[in-house]
Amino acid sequence: MNIVISEDDLVGPLREALLVAAVAGMSGALRVTGDPGGTIHLADGRVVGIDTPGAPGPEVLLLRSHRVSEPDWDTAFAAAAATGGPLGAELVKRGLIGSGELEVLLWTTVADAMFVLASGSVDEYRAEPGPVEFVLPLDPGAEADWLLAETARRLRVLESLPARPDRDRVVAVSGAERSGDRLAGGQSEILALADGRRTPRDLAFALGRGVYGTLLQLARMHEAGLLVTASYRAGFQFGARKTAHPAAGGKPVPADGLPRRSKDPAALARRVVPLGRTRDLPATLGLLRPRARRDADAGETP
Amino acid sequence: MAEDKLLAEMQALRDRVTGVTGTAVASRDGLIIREDTGGTDPDNLAALAATALALSQRLATEAGHGVLREAAIRSSGGHVAVYAIGATAVLVLLGDEGLDIARLHRESRATVDSIEKLLL
Repeated sequence: MNIVISEDDLVGPLREALLVAAVAGMSGALRVTGDPGGTIHLADGRVVGIDTPGAPGPEVLLLRSHRVSEPDWDTAFAAAAATGGPLGAELVKRGLIGSGELEVLLWTTVADAMFVLASGSVDEYRAEPGPVEFVLPLDPGAEADWLLAETARRLRVLESLPARPDRDRVVAVSGAERSGDRLAGGQSEILALADGRRTPRDLAFALGRGVYGTLLQLARMHEAGLLVTASYRAGFQFGARKTAHPAAGGKPVPADGLPRRSKDPAALARRVVPLGRTRDLPATLGLLRPRARRDADAGETP
Repeated sequence: MAEDKLLAEMQALRDRVTGVTGTAVASRDGLIIREDTGGTDPDNLAALAATALALSQRLATEAGHGVLREAAIRSSGGHVAVYAIGATAVLVLLGDEGLDIARLHRESRATVDSIEKLLL
């Protein structure tokens, strides 16, 4: 794979993390600290799922939308747990969702969560190679290239939108709910929930929809004069994404700041990769490489 | 006014922790002191939270686990967490499915301490 780090890359530090993991064919978790932060689950270098407080996962989407009923979900969950089989296959086998529909849903949630992680702030990330631990993994996972391109596209769109995912608390304009016929599908639902307390992220959870889709819907409603931003969430870090990503032409990172190989591969895997210190790809690659290969390279093959 | 400071503390917690949908502070006998619940009936919440706290503390003591830090209830549609504020009050917190539990653990202690001082 040809890795090009563009200077004006919108996705920020997670771009490198995903590309390095893809090249290394890493399986395990990429823990992202920040706001909202989360965990990117990888299998063979592909993203199979993302846990983040910032975006609803597949379970929320399926249950809140009533696509799958809670008793059905619980039964399938218990059955999958009993056999040790994948939950996705169990849902499909029980006729609760089509395999194609499930795949689309899982792609959607991965893309949505990646967009949310990248639009927030990233303080640091660290790779934890190991088994994949995600309740509904996408199989095969999303390729880093595709996911990054899609995330960049969404971030570009976001720049033109009036509300940020977890910053603006939106409120319905008084009388908006009486607009009747002018309301498009789903808009009255949003108006009922837009009480000035909820951010787009909160609305997405309440509705059981993706954050990105909710933002687009909210932008249309802003434009139509149906709702406005009531206040900003104080905890939100303004412009954090831009400061977290090293600026173009920034100072080179001192070589002694790079992660070093250690005799203990587990300790190495736990090590935090500070931002701006991941430019030396071969060094980072060593960090992300599966344990067996790393041991072999270090001449520590058992 | 102490009550406004109290509400500010509660709202600050909601601001800092992703996924918090509401909070309420009640007395140990289940009467509401201040609420920011966003729609959930505060009186019922206060009564139930006081009872849940008392039960959880007894449960923790019975198990020999020392001082209760938090009583957490996770459901298919969200979270409820209950904290003791000194010996006189209780903080109840509502969260959605995406509640940032790690951050809540970091932030809740300071909020509980601040609220305890305000209620003195």
